[in-house]
Amino acid sequence: MKIIRLLTAVSFLGFVSGTRAAELNLFAWSEYVPQTVIDGFTKETKIKVNYETFASGEEMLAKMLAGGASYDLVQPPDYIAEVLIRNKLLTPIDAKKLPNLKNVAPEFLGMPHDPEQKFTVPFMIGTVGIVVNTDVVKEPIRGYKDVFQPKFKNRIVVVNDNRELVSWVLVTLGLDQNDITPANLAKVKPVLAEWIKLVKVFDSDSPKTALLSGEVDLGVVWSGEAARLYEEDKKFAYILPEEGAHPFVDVMAIPANAENVDAAHKFLDYILRPEVSKLISDEFPYTNPNLEARKLLSEEQLENPASYPKIENYDTFRDIGKAATLIDQLVTDLKSAQ
Amino acid sequence: MSAADGMSQSGVSQAGRRPGVAGWLMLAPMLVWLAAFVVVPMAILAIYSFCERDELGRVVFSFSTDSYVRVFSPVYLGIFARSIGYAALTTAICIVLGFPVAWVIARASEAWRARLLLLVMIPFWTSFLIRTYAWLTILKSDGLLSALLQHIRIVGAPLELLYTPTAVVIGLVYAYLPFMILPIYASAEKLDVALVEAAHDLGCGPLRTFREVIVPLTKPGIYAGVLLVFVPAIGMFAITDLMGGARVPMIGNVIQNQFFQARDWPFGAALGVVFTLMFVVSYWILQRRSAAA
Repeated sequence: MKIIRLLTAVSFLGFVSGTRAAELNLFAWSEYVPQTVIDGFTKETKIKVNYETFASGEEMLAKMLAGGASYDLVQPPDYIAEVLIRNKLLTPIDAKKLPNLKNVAPEFLGMPHDPEQKFTVPFMIGTVGIVVNTDVVKEPIRGYKDVFQPKFKNRIVVVNDNRELVSWVLVTLGLDQNDITPANLAKVKPVLAEWIKLVKVFDSDSPKTALLSGEVDLGVVWSGEAARLYEEDKKFAYILPEEGAHPFVDVMAIPANAENVDAAHKFLDYILRPEVSKLISDEFPYTNPNLEARKLLSEEQLENPASYPKIENYDTFRDIGKAATLIDQLVTDLKSAQ
Repeated sequence: MSAADGMSQSGVSQAGRRPGVAGWLMLAPMLVWLAAFVVVPMAILAIYSFCERDELGRVVFSFSTDSYVRVFSPVYLGIFARSIGYAALTTAICIVLGFPVAWVIARASEAWRARLLLLVMIPFWTSFLIRTYAWLTILKSDGLLSALLQHIRIVGAPLELLYTPTAVVIGLVYAYLPFMILPIYASAEKLDVALVEAAHDLGCGPLRTFREVIVPLTKPGIYAGVLLVFVPAIGMFAITDLMGGARVPMIGNVIQNQFFQARDWPFGAALGVVFTLMFVVSYWILQRRSAAA
């Protein structure tokens, strides 16, 4: 009996320490980390990756704050990373463990959400821009004001993201996209009311679907979606709005309560390798901040205007705290009023 | 001994009789389930609805009625009204479509009854979301329905149906129709055909027979169906997003938004509490009416 008990105890210990040493709980966007990359990492390091997904930065934040699950690596967008840093919810990243960090273009390091470059590693960069089906829309489209015209009523798809909608109007009015005040929203309201009436579909998950099926001819969508449309058919042109495009940076970070900090660093360095980073770009054609990986991409990939747009100024979203409620109220109000 | 007595007489309703230990034991799983998944979550919801949120969106326990003030503002009352309107229309269409189907199944021969019921239930074998995506393929302007109607020359131009309120109602009716058919079927199956024949023999026309014999006798089924369709249809948000293009918010969409995009849990909780109270009231009214009937 004693032997059996001893054996049970030993195997249990082995089980516990075994799982501890060889697990990584990854919490990332759906459709962002290719399975091939995860499998390659597990094969090389014997670390098992549990990949849990979310569909918006807010959802990620809500689940992180709710507790219950402990994640080792999360993938917040820039302005959510800013909140996490400010509230001391992240573990500093040990740059010494990331020799491949040198591959990242300097312009994407030390950005406003992480000015000291202590807590985050850029994963992919994207923009929100205009897609035009040039087979149908023959006139030049340069910015938001060309898209939201009465003659395009019911021919427009936009992402179903209230903050995006409001930010487009703010830049069109020449205001700061991060300056969410009741006074500014009062200025936004009449313009946005007209714009919302013109939209046929609000879809954040797959706005390309409505464009592909010809249900709509114009869209304001994520650049990754636009890049895939362009790969599908060159008639889908991508245009950065002249009023000002909104770029976003999705980063990787380690939560303060992470249990497998070492494994997290290993994974970070693994995906920073040029050949691995290239695999991510192959599947999800956003802007890759990894300069060495870019050298491995095909000419065609680099020439995709949605993946590598000519953008000078990376003016990202900042955290707006409680003002998110004001935006939600405004957009709900306007959508209901039509 | 008393426990055994209680068991043996459980079929007989006796006023003032208490269930014995065995009775409580048998009830225990249900009570635990109710407490864990109904009472406790509802209590949390009620408490949150009177709290505030901090900058991060975490719930702060300081008493506030702001959320309720917002719930009763015209915007959200309008959304409630619209959601009820859509749900009522869905329920009405479900009754009109579902009653004849249920009636035919109930009157069919035993072998056919089983087969027809199976057909009603087969859609549940596939995920609800996948079935909704299938509707997108049918309804889109270069989709199956549009092509068919153009082919047989009923319409001239491609049909603009997807992402309209009509598409939302189609989706809702499709999703909830089985929940109307099944309870009506259960009532109709028990109905004694001799009563219908008697009505005919006594000079009732078909319409009058339907109104004064069939409907009253299947009322429990209709009420159950109304409850099963109307209540969930009010809160549905996936169909309005996918088939309605998220253009017009329903109360389900607004609540969902509070927990993710807007990060305002107290307001979401307040909407949820008001919404639940609406259910309770509508259930209570239906119960009273069916008791009266």
